[in-house]
Amino acid sequence: MSKPSIRLALALGVAFAVAPSATTRAADPADIVIGSVLPLTGPSAQTGAGLKAAQQLAADLVNGHVSYPLPAVGHDGIPSLGHAHIKLVFADSQGKPDQARAAAEELITQDHAVALIGAYISSTTATASQVAERYGIPFLNPDSSAPSLTARGLKWFFRTTPNDAMFAQNFYDFLADLKKTKKVAVHKVAVVNEDGLFGTGSGDAEESIGKSSGYDVAARIAYPATTTEVNAEVEKIKSAAPDILMMSSYLPDALLFMRGLKDQGVAVQGIFAQDAGFIDPGFIKTEGDDAEGIMTREVFSLEIKQRNQSVPLIDQLFRARFGGKPLDGNTARDFTGVLVLADALDRAHSTDPAAIRDALVKTNIPGSRTLLPWKSIHFDATGQNDGGAGIIEQIQGGKYVTVWPFDVAVKPVVWPMPPWKH
Amino acid sequence: MSPRPHLIALAAIVVLGLLYAFGSKDAVTLDLVFTLFLYATLGQSWNWISGYAGNISFGHAIFFGCGAYAAALCTNAGLSPWLAVPAGALVAAALALVTGFPTLALRGHYFSIATIAVGALVDTYVRTQGWLGMANGFELPIKNGLGWLQFSDKGPYVALALGLFALVQLATLALERSRLGYYLRALRANHAAAASVGIDERRWKLIAFTSCATFAALAGVLYAQYTLFVDPPSTLALSISIDIALIGVVGGIGTLWGPLVGASVYVLLAKEVALRLGGSGKGYDLVIYGAIICLIAAWRPHGIVGSIIDALRRRRGAADVVSVQNPAEAA
Amino acid sequence: MADAAVEALTTFALLVAGGLLTGLVFALVALGLTLVYGVMDVVNFAHGEFLMLAMYATLGLALLGIGPLVGLPLVAAALFLFGIVVYRIFIRRLLAGPPEATVFGTFGLLVLIQGAAQALFSSDYLSVPNRPLQGTLHLGPIALAQSALVEGAGALVLTALVFAFVEYTETGRAMRAVAEDRVAATLMGINVQRINALAFGIGAACVGAAGALLMLSYPVYPTVGSQFALTAFVVVALGGFGSIQGALVAALLVGLLEVLGGFYLSPELKMVPVYLAYLVVVLLRPQGLLGRR
Repeated sequence: MSKPSIRLALALGVAFAVAPSATTRAADPADIVIGSVLPLTGPSAQTGAGLKAAQQLAADLVNGHVSYPLPAVGHDGIPSLGHAHIKLVFADSQGKPDQARAAAEELITQDHAVALIGAYISSTTATASQVAERYGIPFLNPDSSAPSLTARGLKWFFRTTPNDAMFAQNFYDFLADLKKTKKVAVHKVAVVNEDGLFGTGSGDAEESIGKSSGYDVAARIAYPATTTEVNAEVEKIKSAAPDILMMSSYLPDALLFMRGLKDQGVAVQGIFAQDAGFIDPGFIKTEGDDAEGIMTREVFSLEIKQRNQSVPLIDQLFRARFGGKPLDGNTARDFTGVLVLADALDRAHSTDPAAIRDALVKTNIPGSRTLLPWKSIHFDATGQNDGGAGIIEQIQGGKYVTVWPFDVAVKPVVWPMPPWKH
Repeated sequence: MSPRPHLIALAAIVVLGLLYAFGSKDAVTLDLVFTLFLYATLGQSWNWISGYAGNISFGHAIFFGCGAYAAALCTNAGLSPWLAVPAGALVAAALALVTGFPTLALRGHYFSIATIAVGALVDTYVRTQGWLGMANGFELPIKNGLGWLQFSDKGPYVALALGLFALVQLATLALERSRLGYYLRALRANHAAAASVGIDERRWKLIAFTSCATFAALAGVLYAQYTLFVDPPSTLALSISIDIALIGVVGGIGTLWGPLVGASVYVLLAKEVALRLGGSGKGYDLVIYGAIICLIAAWRPHGIVGSIIDALRRRRGAADVVSVQNPAEAA
Repeated sequence: MADAAVEALTTFALLVAGGLLTGLVFALVALGLTLVYGVMDVVNFAHGEFLMLAMYATLGLALLGIGPLVGLPLVAAALFLFGIVVYRIFIRRLLAGPPEATVFGTFGLLVLIQGAAQALFSSDYLSVPNRPLQGTLHLGPIALAQSALVEGAGALVLTALVFAFVEYTETGRAMRAVAEDRVAATLMGINVQRINALAFGIGAACVGAAGALLMLSYPVYPTVGSQFALTAFVVVALGGFGSIQGALVAALLVGLLEVLGGFYLSPELKMVPVYLAYLVVVLLRPQGLLGRR
């Protein structure tokens, strides 16, 4: 019995010795390394691939010579640092918190990243940013919306995207605006959400802001995202008889709810979705006419009355790199995130992480110089961009059109939503 | 069947591991080594009930979760996570007793499905309890020091994982040579025959189940203090339970060194395949991983260590064909 | 007061109807699984992935202009062949190993097929264009989706067909002989490998038909299988591994418990009564509701 055990031990020893060579990478010493943690494998790999392409496009524009009305691009790198180029190094989170942590550690200790960006899935952003906090490296989060992320008191964490609480606030702001222009009577709200991290965060915000704004939250329904039927959920909605529905669902469950609401003849004035399933291309295709009038929050739209003329150009560049797929809310936010870091690097006049952090704190980019429908990029004491805002889109004529804020709206809102067709 | 070679091998691994833990500054490889020993511990824990006792479990993550959540609750309450070591182990043991009592007597797949049911119930319970963080889970505050079981370097973490693994390995070596181990193997080989000679199935399996649940809980405490984040998908989900079971099977079910080999394959493979084939968002990594599991199941159904043992036995010309069927006999 | 009572009763009736239809969908998915188990003691963990492949096949046909209901026999036939091939080159080998080999072999198959689907079809959610049967049927105050009714009817017909096949045909009798005692069946001159392959193929064909019907109400994506398969495993175990009638009864029970639990407890807890029922049943009857042994 002794021989296999010793061989085994030897084999393991060899395995340890060989392992590091596979992961060692070298960067051009002149480059400024920014580490990016993204879900490059696992269930969100497809989204991750798009985010990677968007971030790389932004870095290439920063390192290039062509000017756009966007911060930090077209100066052949970072001017205040001798036109040093920025170099993005990507590490895979697999969509898992523990892997995101390892990825962040790898980027900081081996690739010597001076700042990190990422990580899309909220739970992976939580662990990766905690590593950055421990090492004293700025972490820019362009794309995770769990409100709790900026409630942790981290010093090195900055989030450019609005969070779910701000999106929920947008819905109620929209209702208030709507009441000013039209005679609408909305009192009863039903909040419906899948019971994962995404749905719970959105649903909590919708419920608490609704209550504090004087609405009657007549039903709060959390359901498992993997369910294959929603009989009980629809029946609960029906008995609550709400004026509006607020929904945080993925596509399969969104379709189940549509089917159930139609079958049971549940009529509401409006359905507000926290994007996800309701903005999936499959949603309108499958629901056809019955999707008409449904509203969703979004962070970006190519259709919006753009305040920045580079939007179509960047969209073209992105499509050329990413199999013809258009720029969307996720990719536009990640593109912008890299530019915010480049802008801070230039103002920091240094690659010292502390100097970059100080520069990030002083960030003040007007919304008109970004791709996004935001007022500005400026971080509050928690590191949250307080100039961010969502837009509200409505399905009209088989596609999503921007209907709020009213000043950037492409079409007027249809209220109440049309009744179900059979 | 002297235990000495196993002890020598274990000592060699511990010494080499400790040298590496405190000698290396390579955070990435240290992370791999930590994960390897953590998974090997979990795999060995699973091996007790599913390998030696023969009750294939798909719910082992819940015991891991007990430890992880205990650590998160303690640290967030300002208490030392060392308290979570007994607390997590106790909760896991209690959970194993309560769920094992009715289910361990179930045969074959009825038991496996019961573990899935129990796992889902625990997962649902945690998701709906405010004090357990619901779907959000917990982040653990950063508090460095041995008292807080948190370290700015990875060396101590690797050393702790190694220590835990060595402990579980010693316990397993003892199990193999104990009355408990003998009874479990007898029950696995033929429960009716074992019962007829007076072996109380429920009693002995409960002892094994409860013991191995505490090992998994200890691994959970260490995981939480390392990752500083605990939520249902990363500690309680069915997918974690399946990963643990795969480690046990790939290495060789019911063998002493199977879990370590299985964990090595799992960790290196997951990292390598993801590194080389991931990033396209195409799922090629899953294809390779799935194909390897298929190949092992079809051509090396006793796992890597099990196959080595089989081959050695065949070379020695041992005539006991029966024990090829049951690698637990051999380890 | 009377109005409230009538309303509560209507709600209850509606939930029962919804629960039974949900249960029939589970029965549809579980049928092939229990058949395969009955003959060769294999829990095919890749069963959900077979369902997913069938759904993609249905989608492919729909894109060629062949709707799900017309395409159903084609999909079932394709899955039948696929099942035979998988049995011949893979499952047969697993059966020669220890019992856990089938568990992990089929799990490896699950990962492999899921990865391949992601590589081939991407992880987008895809639905059949112009889904048929999207209307609602009104029975007094009770409204039911036409698609669910068709899926339910399909489940009943398919279960009856498989039951009749196993009970009343020569091949079916051979299958039962193999299920009873493999060695005795061999001695009786039955070709066990052929019967196993056939059973595996028919099991796959059943899940092929299920996939075609599910495309009436569900989108397809690489991980759709696990969404249905997990419940199917519980259904098959609850009914008794290998029992066709047991699977039907258990599926209806699971559907009812899920829907009623979702309403009267909370939607978040809808699976709790299902899992508890399983644990209670196997505690009292370790072989499931209608299982043998």
